[in-house]
Amino acid sequence: MKSHTRLLTVLDRMDNGPVMEEKDFDKLISKTVRGLIKKYSLKYDRSEAIITDDDLADRFFEAGLELACTTGVYCTDTHTQMIFSKEEILQALRWAPDALTIGSGLDQCTIVTRRPEDPVVPKIVGGGFGAPIPEEWFSAVMESYAKEPVIDSIVGCNFFTTHGRTPKTRSPWEVLLAWREVELIKSAAQRAGRPGISIGVVENAVSEIGELSGSSYGGFPQCDWHHTCFVSELKTNYGLLIKVAHLVKTGCIIHSFYNPILGGYAGGAEGVAICAVAGIIMECVVNMATTFSICPTHPFYNCDTAPELIWAVSAAQQAVNRNTHLLTTVMTSPVSGPMTESLLYECATMATAATVSGTARIDGVRSAVGVEILHVTGLEARFNGEIAHAAAGVSRKDANEMIKEFQKHYVPYLDKRPIGKSFLEAYDPVKVEPTQEWLDMYGKVKDEVGRIGLKMKY
Amino acid sequence: MEQYYNKLMECVLEGEEEEAVEITRAEIEGGTDPLDIVQKCLVPILDDVGDKFSKLEIFLPDLIMSADVAKAVKDEIRAHLLSSSNGSESSGKVVIGTVQGDVHDIGKNIVATLLEVNGYEVIDLGNDVAPYTFIETAKREKVDIIALSSLLTTSMPYMVDVLKTLDGLGIRDQYKVIVGGGPVSAEWAESIGADGYSNDANEAVELCRKMMAERKAG
Ligand code: B12
Repeated sequence: MKSHTRLLTVLDRMDNGPVMEEKDFDKLISKTVRGLIKKYSLKYDRSEAIITDDDLADRFFEAGLELACTTGVYCTDTHTQMIFSKEEILQALRWAPDALTIGSGLDQCTIVTRRPEDPVVPKIVGGGFGAPIPEEWFSAVMESYAKEPVIDSIVGCNFFTTHGRTPKTRSPWEVLLAWREVELIKSAAQRAGRPGISIGVVENAVSEIGELSGSSYGGFPQCDWHHTCFVSELKTNYGLLIKVAHLVKTGCIIHSFYNPILGGYAGGAEGVAICAVAGIIMECVVNMATTFSICPTHPFYNCDTAPELIWAVSAAQQAVNRNTHLLTTVMTSPVSGPMTESLLYECATMATAATVSGTARIDGVRSAVGVEILHVTGLEARFNGEIAHAAAGVSRKDANEMIKEFQKHYVPYLDKRPIGKSFLEAYDPVKVEPTQEWLDMYGKVKDEVGRIGLKMKY
Repeated sequence: MEQYYNKLMECVLEGEEEEAVEITRAEIEGGTDPLDIVQKCLVPILDDVGDKFSKLEIFLPDLIMSADVAKAVKDEIRAHLLSSSNGSESSGKVVIGTVQGDVHDIGKNIVATLLEVNGYEVIDLGNDVAPYTFIETAKREKVDIIALSSLLTTSMPYMVDVLKTLDGLGIRDQYKVIVGGGPVSAEWAESIGADGYSNDANEAVELCRKMMAERKAG
């Protein structure tokens, strides 16, 4: 692919970039971000849910681009800063795809660039994004996503157990996990009547081992989207770059994610947004990704739905979606779990904020921040997708007011960890259907969201 | 002392290591009991800093900076105590790291920093640390506590490996082993035979205090 031609340059920069201690790189990030916040007059406004100002969005883009040029990306194995010039970076952005077809046969779909307030409906990804699931329920949980028509593509969970054992990452077990993922996700898609639906893989590849094995002969094909990432803030390593090299050489779609941490080296909401912009830009340059996800993280709640982070996501997304044609994605990672109303309001908030900010693909839902065993279901992903469909074309000003209302329904619970109920209680796990109680709650919140002003389409 | 307190607070928040050491030396030479400086100034200031971080009024880099200043002040005080042959010890020695295959280090960094702020000597092995590396370091550095962080259900079994290997080598009772990180729970910690677990960094400091007390008692 024309955007995959930089591999040797990337590896050269990895080997020959300026050497520095990791701690000094962390300090450099923090110092540079603080400087850029002042230089571009970027200020988090607690009274607004999302940003609504084009000029502010453009200043965030300039700040992110400057951060990317100044610090580059740090490789923790070679202890080098991988630096690229502004011209090289702009060149990479220019040749990145503005449309991407994923999946095969009748289940193909095409993701396209969107702009803030774009009436074009974003594509929807549904899945548990790494939530831990015991093997015996893995396929049923995945089927609960695949059977939702609003969902265009699915993404896996993590195995909590396999073959009755607790598997270890970066060990031979990781190979077995990758193959179990191939087997059980494909069978879930098949049962749902969507054999060609594209899949975000290899979710159980914590190291490069699972990716290399799970995308080899008979495993996940090129038209699935394959994960790699940056470690916060703006770091990579041999393992992640091995994934990149493998995916470039085998012609696979690369999906790259990055989670800047609030209160960490990025600092506050403004700093998180600057790092997110720089991260997306450098994932294009270094990881040669085609789709780009951010999921900034709250240091105490572990979610991305805290008000500061919703604001930061809106700023970063508008910055990138106004100034590039990259295919951006945002994932909803709420504190609440299935069968809580607060979960649905967290989804309504993030999916609206991202959609009106021009995000091309809306992902989710990593309920109960993805750490509670079996606490994810297809129904919240359906809701997340339906919100995105409804929010396409809504103005940022209107969305801002609606989100303030949505937030009243969950912000008071952020520190209470309302993890709700497990898939086995929220669904009939054998028929793979939501219980009436969960459906009623979903219906009630949908009505309320409508009353607040977001016109649901379905 | 009030003036010193305010100045020290400023130094801790601004990362002014040298100035902090200077004013501390002057304060001790002026006759203030070094132990009072610790109890009445440094400890409350650091509590305040921890509190500011938990409200996100300051960020991790500030916390690390404060830890560096605190360490410099403590070293200065220790030097005085030693010269007056009074003796003073660190709160305890901890080796910490994120276990094998796992690069999630943010929570571990916060815990390590808060422990340092609270006077522990901390050896941070970073992330993706093999089980045996923890043990080698613990033996070489004669640590009191081995602290393991894991954010992945598939890296948690490496914590079991650390405990099993300590057992196998017959040195399990020489160390306190504590565990933490997103998916780790108190029940799980107990089920694998760890000595302690905590849910957040402030509790981790409390936990280490308890571990050290048990060590001294036992
Ligand atoms: C940020 C993040 C990342 C960043 C990490 C950056 C970094 N420098 O750490 C990046 C983007 C690199 C990343 C990568 C991946 N991640 Co991740 N990540 C997260 C996320 C969103 C937040 C973690 C975090 O930092 N929290 C904030 C800190 C402050 O909290 P904490 O670590 O729990 O620490 C506190 C306490 O637990 C305690 N504590 C912590 N350690 C210790 C130790 C002791 C001794 C004590 C006493 C206390 C203690 O004190 C801390 C402070 O209060 C979580 C989601 C979540 N909800 O946790 C997923 C999560 C951990 N990741 C997950 C996954 C699957 C991955 C990937 C495999 C994704 C992929 N397919 O590639 C890779 C794996 C990379 C690897 N080899 O490890 C899963 C794990 C699922 C599972 N199997 O258990 C999670 C749960 C999300 C999910 N469902 O997908 N991730």
